[in-house]
Amino acid sequence: MRLERAAADHAQRFLEGRFRGAIEPGPAGTTVLRLPVSAVDRAASLLAAEGARFVSVFVADVPERSLVAAFAFRGQLAALRAPLTEDGAAYPALSLHLPAAALAERELHDREGLTPLGHPNLRPVLRPDPDELEQRIVGGETFIIPYGPIRSGIFEAVQHVVETGGEDVLALETRPYFKHRRLEARLAGLEPAQGALLSERIAGIAAVAHATAFSQAVEAALAVEPPEQAHLWRIVHAELERVVNHLDVAMKLAEDAALAVGVARFGILKEDVMRLRARLCGSRFGRGVVVPGGIAFQPLLGTDELRDWLGSFERELVRDRRLLLRTSSFTDRLIGSGRLDRATVEALGGVGPVARAVGLSTDARFERPYAAYTRLGFDVVTAESGDAMARLEVRFGEIRESLHLIRQALDRLQRIGDASSMRVDLPGGEGGAFGWAEAPQGELVYWVEIAGGRIRRAHVSSPSLHNWPLFVASFRGDVLTDFSFIEHSFGLTAAGADR
Amino acid sequence: MLEWIVRGLRKGVVTSRYPRAGEPELDGFRGRVEVVESDEASEALEAICPTSAIRVSAGRVSLDRGRCILCGACVEAAPERFRFSSAYETASRRRAGVVVGASVERQLEAVRVPLGVQARPLRRSIHIRHVDAGSDGAEEWEISALTNPYYDMQRLGLYFTLSPRHADVLLVTGGVTRSMEKPLERAYEVMPEPKAVVAAGTDACSGGFAAATGETAGGVDQILPVDVYVPGSPPSPIALLHGLLLAAGVVTEDGR
Repeated sequence: MRLERAAADHAQRFLEGRFRGAIEPGPAGTTVLRLPVSAVDRAASLLAAEGARFVSVFVADVPERSLVAAFAFRGQLAALRAPLTEDGAAYPALSLHLPAAALAERELHDREGLTPLGHPNLRPVLRPDPDELEQRIVGGETFIIPYGPIRSGIFEAVQHVVETGGEDVLALETRPYFKHRRLEARLAGLEPAQGALLSERIAGIAAVAHATAFSQAVEAALAVEPPEQAHLWRIVHAELERVVNHLDVAMKLAEDAALAVGVARFGILKEDVMRLRARLCGSRFGRGVVVPGGIAFQPLLGTDELRDWLGSFERELVRDRRLLLRTSSFTDRLIGSGRLDRATVEALGGVGPVARAVGLSTDARFERPYAAYTRLGFDVVTAESGDAMARLEVRFGEIRESLHLIRQALDRLQRIGDASSMRVDLPGGEGGAFGWAEAPQGELVYWVEIAGGRIRRAHVSSPSLHNWPLFVASFRGDVLTDFSFIEHSFGLTAAGADR
Repeated sequence: MLEWIVRGLRKGVVTSRYPRAGEPELDGFRGRVEVVESDEASEALEAICPTSAIRVSAGRVSLDRGRCILCGACVEAAPERFRFSSAYETASRRRAGVVVGASVERQLEAVRVPLGVQARPLRRSIHIRHVDAGSDGAEEWEISALTNPYYDMQRLGLYFTLSPRHADVLLVTGGVTRSMEKPLERAYEVMPEPKAVVAAGTDACSGGFAAATGETAGGVDQILPVDVYVPGSPPSPIALLHGLLLAAGVVTEDGR
């Protein structure tokens, strides 16, 4: 932790030294730098050279219409803000220096009509046509398999365009946005409490993380602090969500390896968590709990009941995990499959377990602690080898840490008792702010603008969208039969990426 | 491998007995919203609902479960009129059948009874193809949960199939985004007759929360003829099972 603080201080000094006079006052954890549009790309590459990770680029209306490029920079969220003039419809593309920004800039071009000058590929992305493939065949001996958007199995709609000579995957292109529902636009005009309900439906399997990131953005914009009890219950729900998402990955991988009992066992564990969440809040996905200002209602289960449940759940889980990781017909398929190296993950701005599996300690709970995470202890689990096996090991480690976090939160809740309130009222006022949470898929960042008690504009930077290009980059010498193993080891959600 | 077998056997049987016996309801589970008291209501009630599921006409309240996302805003604001029920079964064969309120409740009962009779002698081999047409991803989890040992839908003769060409039932999630219209239509076209379409989830029934953006068609029935509506955001596995059993009844009913 001391090392992190030193890094944050260094980052602050760097920003103050390099961008003197550009720094605007903002909420804690966020540094906003005001620049002219023409300097955005240079400033972005300067930040990237210092180790900043690209988060998103979008248009904001607070305090004025501006282009905003956000970076995770050593314990801070650094945002470059360039005011846009009335006729300003172009800016120098960031993608030339930052490959991670490529998709976000194409989206921006489609949505706002802003042209990133020099961007290598500005074809529309938001409403893909399944029949119009962008890919070109490179040689006479290869052919293309358009896999999706309707795929073999119960999967979300996404299209993978695989170029193959028969067995090996020569090239791969993943086309998201088949499920684009324009939900950020739908957020505009809603009251904050309704906005939280909508954010839960952006990525249904990470509903708690979305509602938390959204609510924290609203709370930062209006400068309110939810009660400690609400923070702790949010953590309980968020960590249960992480556990169940990681179990889903383990179950799908076991299914890919045709390990019938393993599928059944992890299916049972997953269903147990889903049922616990239904008993805890009435929803199997923890929906309707997190609202701006706190949590909506007193949980239906007490801390003792939860602790008992955790004990018996963990005993079962430990046995199944040990057995799964000892089954060589399973592990053989994961070791070495879909290997990523650290440089690629850093260049493409990877987040979540995918980034942690190459040894990066990218975790919003640790980099920029929110809610009550500063007061709880946990390890950021990492692995080195960067293959599908490493990603699974990271997930199992995170399940252990999540259960540990839930227990700590329950201890604190017991000490606080039920007396204090669950929710504070939101004051009037206006503003715009970032809010973030570590979703099971990785770092999730919301930008929310609020005025007159309603949301005016919102932008979501989703971990799944960041990691799709990494999925493409991970095929090096892998064959078609590895495809589902590699895809499931990433644990991404198309709904979250498409929004 | 032996260890896995032992591990599997040790757990014993966890499978639900639904539909032969009712699934035990979980306390506090938000299965569906009931209209308790629908007379002499003011039209101000309509404004409570973020997805416009509540209608008041001539002083009577009705609630469209095909639009309801189970957020509980109405239960909180008007507990004398709305309450949560932990019952799982919500599906209906008519779009109007998922609308509840005093005046429509009677019609719904009339539909329910014959359906129960139809569903009983269902054929033991119904093949289902799932298509995601713009869901939030949660519906897919609940659908795949149907194969876990708790629900084990194979025991009822229901199977997932990989090709729509082998499918009897098309299980569609999401409000149908523009990019998914063509693939969805194509999947339906290649299915052999008789075929049934199940709209799974509030988004699939009405477009749900996302409907207002105009980016989706606003429900599967805007694109395909829907035989069974399963509301819920997302519907629980038992609610889906109930919907699929209704669809199975459709297939055997008149050979359509």
